Amino acid sequence: MSRRVNLLKSMRRTPRGTNCSARRHVLQISLFCAALLFPPIDAAVAGNAAAGKTKAVKCQACHGLDGISKLPEAPHIAGQPEPYIIKSLRAYRQGTRKDEMMSLVAKQLNNEDIEDIAAYYSAIEFSVKVPQ
Amino acid sequence: MKTLACGAMSALAIAFASSAFAQAPSAGNLEKLSAFKTTGTPLEIPEIPQTGSKAEAIKKTLSRVKMPNGFKISLYAIVPDARHMAVGPTTGVVFVGTRKSKVWAVTDRDKDRVADEVKEFAPSLAMKIPNGVCFSRDGFLYVAEQNRVLVFPAAEFFYESPDVAAFEVVKQGELIPVGEESYNHTARVCRIGADGKLYITLGQPLNVFAPEKMDLYKKTGIGGIVRMTNEGKEREVFAWGVRNSVGMDFNPRDRTLWFTDNQVDGMGDDIPPGEINRADKPGLDFGFPYYGGGKTRTNEYKTAQAPANVVFPQVETVAHAADLGMTFYNGRMFPQRYRGGIFSAQHGSWNRTTPVGARVMFTSLKEDGTADKSEVFAEGWMTENGEYLGRPVDVAQLPDGSILVSDDFAGAIYRISYEGR
Repeated sequence: MSRRVNLLKSMRRTPRGTNCSARRHVLQISLFCAALLFPPIDAAVAGNAAAGKTKAVKCQACHGLDGISKLPEAPHIAGQPEPYIIKSLRAYRQGTRKDEMMSLVAKQLNNEDIEDIAAYYSAIEFSVKVPQ
Repeated sequence: MKTLACGAMSALAIAFASSAFAQAPSAGNLEKLSAFKTTGTPLEIPEIPQTGSKAEAIKKTLSRVKMPNGFKISLYAIVPDARHMAVGPTTGVVFVGTRKSKVWAVTDRDKDRVADEVKEFAPSLAMKIPNGVCFSRDGFLYVAEQNRVLVFPAAEFFYESPDVAAFEVVKQGELIPVGEESYNHTARVCRIGADGKLYITLGQPLNVFAPEKMDLYKKTGIGGIVRMTNEGKEREVFAWGVRNSVGMDFNPRDRTLWFTDNQVDGMGDDIPPGEINRADKPGLDFGFPYYGGGKTRTNEYKTAQAPANVVFPQVETVAHAADLGMTFYNGRMFPQRYRGGIFSAQHGSWNRTTPVGARVMFTSLKEDGTADKSEVFAEGWMTENGEYLGRPVDVAQLPDGSILVSDDFAGAIYRISYEGR
């Protein structure tokens, strides 16, 4: 994630010589290019995990505030890769992925909510122990 | 601290997973048990630890719970995924359903009103969403799974061994059409009526079902309550027009069947209301899918002609609070005003902007047998920030007149007693 942000920053610094270079609106256009290159992530807007923890009240009944599933039909999401959470929530919101519960919840979320929630759940550390 | 608790929980979960892995029940075991034959399942059934950091954390949560003066709440047992409860009529052993694959047997051997042993019930049988558990007065335990119903005669005595006499009341795949099996709204609740028949709630699997489903659901009783003899015969739809009932009980005074109903999601934070209903005879229509809760019409059926004879709820509860298990209180321990009334659990909302619920409600009845008033009886499982510390599922009464409350979020059963006199 941070590597991608750095990459975008370096792109922003050296816009010349790319198809995206233009005198005006360099920043906006390079961001547009970035969006084309990395469509699932708004890399310029990193989610805020602390805000995400507050917003996760909407998720806790099923996924827990600790990201450990509280319902048989809900998955664990503690430590889930951030881009995957964002991708899934957007897909539920767009309707390309459907679920009786998630489709309703995702509709209530804006882009910032999705990023904050993804930042929070992906930041939870966990350990596993496999059966012998 | 948070990470530690989280790690401990996962380790615990994995410990259960591995024990299940070690003794995966064979598919042929039900036939063996029906013929009173042993299955070869190891005799020692592992116990769920009842002490340690998890127990201490739960006790801390319980110190926040507020109730009317004179009542006391304590940890009765740690029971993973605890859902609906059935109390053995002679021994008081509590059988606890889950939405996963196990039923638990919870025993208070020394009768100090704290459980001593929590073990899996009938571990030689594979079960799927065995949420509904209920006893007949003569001690037959019924287990209503997602799509099968089993009966265990003398369950209170056989349960100490992994091999328990077991018979099919409704064969696998015959409670609902297999094509209608869903992970959603398929946690059953059961009761035995004064007529000796077995009553089972059948939640419909969607938020609001499409008109194409209407005929099938009406015929099979999906989105309703069905009843049948204790051998699974003479099945009929007892009540219909119910979205997803996950709690019911007979009023012993007039034998009417009362049930909670979970109402439509996605219409807004404050509509439609949840419901507590009363069926005083068979064949009543409770309004779904035309009504999404109370008198709120669903968007999907807004222009459709609703049936004229719809029965509206006795109690409208706060929207999305998820009223689940309920029981009539017939004990002598609590003050007079609670006798003959209903204790019910609100699981708590999952999609409301500000969460609501996670508490135990009490509803008193009028002299004519209809509902009088509902009030909050026990609350404190939600923090000021809206974080759940527990989610009550069901309420059951112990022989001494105290009540038990199950919680599938904390994985525990609590006991509420009255010490005010």
